[in-house]
Parts: sequence; C-alpha cells; structure tokens
Amino acid sequence: MSTKEDILKKYRNNVHERYPMPDLSDIAAVTYTDPLAQFIEMSKAVGGRVVELAEGQSLDDLIRQCYPDAHEIASNLPEVTSATRNPDTVENAQALNGTDVGIIRGCFGVAENGCIWIPQHMQQKAVCFISENLMILLPKSQIVNNMHEAYHRLRQAEKDSGTDLLNDYGYGTFISGPSKTADIAQVLVMGAQAARSVTVVLLPQ
Amino acid sequence: MGTQHSKAAKEFLKNQDYAHWHDNTFWAVRQKRDNMAQGLDEWEQLREKASAIKRHTITHLDQYLDEFATRAERNGAIVHWAKDAAEFNEIVYGILKEHDVKKMVKSKSMLTEECGMNPYLEARGIEVVETDLGERIIQLKGQKPSHIVMPAIHLNHDDVGELFEEKGISDEKGNHDPTYLTYRARLSLRNEFLTADAGMTGANFGIAETGDIVVCTNEGNADMSTSCPKLHIAAIGLEKVIPNYDCLAVFQRMLCRAGTGQPTTTYTSHFRKARPTAEQMHIVLVDNGRSDWIANPEHWEILKCIRCGSCMNTCPVYRRSGGYSYSYFIPGPVGINLGMLRSPLQHSGNVSACTLCLSCQSVCPVKIDLGDQVYKWRQQLDEFGTANSSKKLMCNAMTTLFSHPSLYKMATAVSPLANILPPFLINSSLNPWAEGHDMMKFPKKPFHEMAKDLNISPKA
Repeated sequence: MSTKEDILKKYRNNVHERYPMPDLSDIAAVTYTDPLAQFIEMSKAVGGRVVELAEGQSLDDLIRQCYPDAHEIASNLPEVTSATRNPDTVENAQALNGTDVGIIRGCFGVAENGCIWIPQHMQQKAVCFISENLMILLPKSQIVNNMHEAYHRLRQAEKDSGTDLLNDYGYGTFISGPSKTADIAQVLVMGAQAARSVTVVLLPQ
Repeated sequence: MGTQHSKAAKEFLKNQDYAHWHDNTFWAVRQKRDNMAQGLDEWEQLREKASAIKRHTITHLDQYLDEFATRAERNGAIVHWAKDAAEFNEIVYGILKEHDVKKMVKSKSMLTEECGMNPYLEARGIEVVETDLGERIIQLKGQKPSHIVMPAIHLNHDDVGELFEEKGISDEKGNHDPTYLTYRARLSLRNEFLTADAGMTGANFGIAETGDIVVCTNEGNADMSTSCPKLHIAAIGLEKVIPNYDCLAVFQRMLCRAGTGQPTTTYTSHFRKARPTAEQMHIVLVDNGRSDWIANPEHWEILKCIRCGSCMNTCPVYRRSGGYSYSYFIPGPVGINLGMLRSPLQHSGNVSACTLCLSCQSVCPVKIDLGDQVYKWRQQLDEFGTANSSKKLMCNAMTTLFSHPSLYKMATAVSPLANILPPFLINSSLNPWAEGHDMMKFPKKPFHEMAKDLNISPKA
C-alpha cells in the first residue's frame, strides 16, 4: 500500500463518530449601507491610501501625482503608457527588482477589511510584491460587504464560466494595505518584505 | 514541588521589567482581539460555525484529503504524503536534491519546526533562510520561537539591533530603531529572495473543492518566497484541509481578528500550481501523529486548532512565564495539549502551567475546550507515571482526612497552632505552599464551629 492509502485507512479506522456539516446559509454577516465608504475607511485603517481617478484625468498623470519621484514603473496594463517595465516580457522575475511603482488591476474590494481580490494577470506575479509602492486599480462599483460574499462570488464565477478562476496562472491573492510587521518589539512598521505603500485607485465604474 | 515549567518560569521572572512588558503586551493584543470580536454582531455565531465546520471536517478528513489531493494533482501540483517527521524531511530533501537546490527561502511554518526540518536540511548542505522577520531574527540568533505568531517576542529592539550589527545586516552602530532595523532586514532578505533556488511555504488552509493552498501573511514573505525561485514546496498538516470557499470565508474572517486583533492579514494568497515561468509546485501532506490523535476520545478536538495564537495571548500563565518556560515548542494552552498528545512523558511538566481560569476556551475561535483538556490530562498523570510525588502524597493525606470526620475535627482544632510558629519555619523552603507568597493565617475556630455558635445548621 502507498503512504497515502496507509494514512487514509488509519485515519478512517480511528474516527469514532462522524459529525454533520453545519448550515452556513444563515450566517448573519455584517453589511453596510454604503459599502464603498466602509471600504475606503478600512483601506486607510490598514495603512493604505485611496485616490479617485478624476473624469478626464490620465492614469499616467495620477501615477506621477502620487509618486513624483518614481523612475521605474512596472505594468502590463495598456493604459499605463509611462511604464518602463512590463511583467509579461521581463527576462525573469528578478528583473523587476528596483521597481518604484507597480500598477496592477483588482477585481473587487471587500468593505469589512479593505481586501482587494487580485487574480494573477501577468507572467510575473513578482510585480505585486517586489515593487516599493503598489497601485491597485479598482472599479468603484465592485465592492462586496464581507468575505462570505467575496468567496461566494469567486466560487460562483468559477462555476458559471467553467474556466479556471485563477486565469490559468494558478494564483490569486487578497491584498489589504501595505506589507507590515510588528516583529521587533511589537512596533508596527509598514514595508516588511513586500510593497511599502499601497494606493488604491478608484475608477469611475 | 516545582515542575519543569515553574522552574523555567522562575528564570523568566528574574527580569521583572521585561516580565511586566511581556504581560502587558499580550494583554494589549487580547484587548485588540476583543475590539474586533465586539465589532461584529455575528462573532459568536461565527465561532459556533467554525467549531462545527472543523468537527465535521476532521471527522471526514479521509474523504476531504482524498478530494484535496485529487484536485491539486489535476491543477498541476505534485502531491506527496508523509507519515511522520522523518519521512517529511526525506521527501523535502529529495525534491531539493533533484533540482540541485543550494538555497531555499521559506515563510513561517510551525509544521517544519515540528519536524525539525531546518537542521535536517542544513546538515545536508542546504541553506535555509527564514523570511518572516521574527523567524529570521531567531534563526540568526540560533533560537526557537517563543510564540507561534510573534516568534521573537522575547527579544527587545536592543537585542535585535545588536544581533543585526553582529551579522552585518545593519551598518549604523547603535541605531536600534525598529523602523530602521526592519528596513535593513528588508534589504538583506530581498537579496535572499532574488538568489534562492526554491521557496517553501506552510499553509493556513488547503481547500478540498479546488485544491488551493491558502497562505496568510502580513509581510508578504510567502508571496515573495514563491515569486522568484523555480520551485515551490508547500508543507501542510493533514488537519489544515477544509471543504470549500464558504468554509474558508468563516476562518479567514476569524484567524487574524482572533490572533492579532486585525480585521485581516495583509495577504491571503491562493496557490494552485507552479508559476508560468517556474518548474514545479509540490505539496507535502504530513500526518506525524494526527491520525493517532483523532482516535483519542477526550482530546481529538485539538485537531480543530487553526494556530491563531489567541489562547496564549490571553493565558495568565503564558503572559507571565513566556514561551520558553514550556517544554513543547508550541507554548500556552494549545501547546500544553499538543505536547501531551506528542509525548506525555516528556511534556507532563506543562500541565501545571494552567490556573483552569478557562480564558483560553472562551476566546478560542474554533471553541476547543483547551482548559478542560488540561484538567483531563492532570487526571492521567498517575497512569503516565509523571504525577508529582509530593502532591500525590498530599492528595492521599487529604483523602484520608476528608473521609474521616473525627480526624478532620481534630486537625482543624489544632491548626491555629501553625499561626504561632515562627515565620522562618513557616515560610521556609520546606513548606511548598509558602513559595512566592506568605502562608495564610488559620482562623481560631474552624467554620463548622462558627456555624454551630451562630445556630446555622445545614438542616435548618
């Protein structure tokens, strides 16, 4: 027998009593009268910044406005014409080191905790973490109340489309604010191993 | 009469300033957790659901593990099964050797600590670099974690500053500012991420329905560890597999709120297969005792644990004695119980590190009866042969005393005599009760005599 079969058989034999799966449909999860306002508040609470792309303003202008000293800008989004690096075409992930600002796209935000769902949409996901500063584009209509709604949406999307949720890249992440740590004497420091700042860019729709 | 734990705690308490800081720091984390819990009307409902999901899952784990492995393989991951620590270490080494890996970066994993993986790999010439800041600090210091979520909590910023100077990580001598030190560690670790051949992560959850490995961090180090290297190995204990995303939502909401008092970790990352430009993703499922523990009629529910750390944050004994006072590598209430499942002979000393206040089980997000379990372990010490002999002697004496009314009356009548004994005799090392506090004063009249005088009879 293989180790897998050994382990499963032993486990099966050792279970005394099997308990039923609880009903999860009656969870009275928090909702908000204005999910967008709550999302913005939570994004700030976790150390992020939220800006809105003004009508007629170009994304390049907004990037320049938010990060005036940035030299290396990495993005594979066609609307970012000021990009100096493209995570789809760089030689390897390491070549993205030294990126001042990375610009990526988020699918939807979660009001209760400021999380933004980011399925990998580039060859090198390193751009989401290796960049000193990260800008996440998010249509402001795409906000769910809580994580139950978030995961329900992901599960439903996969079922409906019949395709892989993770864009065939096999990776997706919820990001809420900048990388942080309190591992030295419990003092909160922004910018542990990944992005030192996160700016959420709310798009008109 | 001191146990292994109380002797070690005495060392910890020698530095009173630090002991107070430790106590206050964890109490502050507990209060942050309370703010989060009270901020959600559904918190107690979530705890009920979380407990019930886990109960269901760990009693159907044979089915969910099979489903998880099948899905993960279909996604393109390579799945391995390890029955114990030795097999786990061999599997990991085998993968690394096959890919000619010289250096591996890794995110925090209590499982690799449990299996002693780092020393095993290092003895075979592989450099292992911890990338969670706290884990990196204690790795450089040659120490073990003293808390499962805040592993370097036993060190202050001066300790870390001096360590970084010694290791050449910081170059401004005497600058022990946590922001500066974190930045220097960032630069040093960045170089490790870029040059490693493999990245290892633990797993907070495995999702049976989709085959996802889910890793939650605040630093982004699990994501950095898997963004550059050609290989990703995920190490996961059997009990971390849950049915689906609906269940995950419950745990994702609770893990960080309970553990650190944050509404979420910064990153909640889902991995299904290797990156497009990487070679492989391996998942190693580890048993190492779990399939035995599920058979234990009184202690199987410990497998519900999601390793949030909230039971140690709230524990009055942990807060006042520190992680190193416990003999098992996981301290606090859950560690006492896991240690006893692992080896009662080795870890019985920890069961005394509990006041039975049950604060742990009132905060546990998956409602494990941690304190009740400690109590149950205590009842078994005699059977393990690890009962404290002087306590046992006293218990036997008390049993005799309480079952013979005439003997009891005589003893209470003479007990005030102890009051007139000179203090040096009472508060001496011969009297274990006097350790750490003054001996109590016996009343002149025992309670039943007072009751008689007042005409209070139990039958009245």
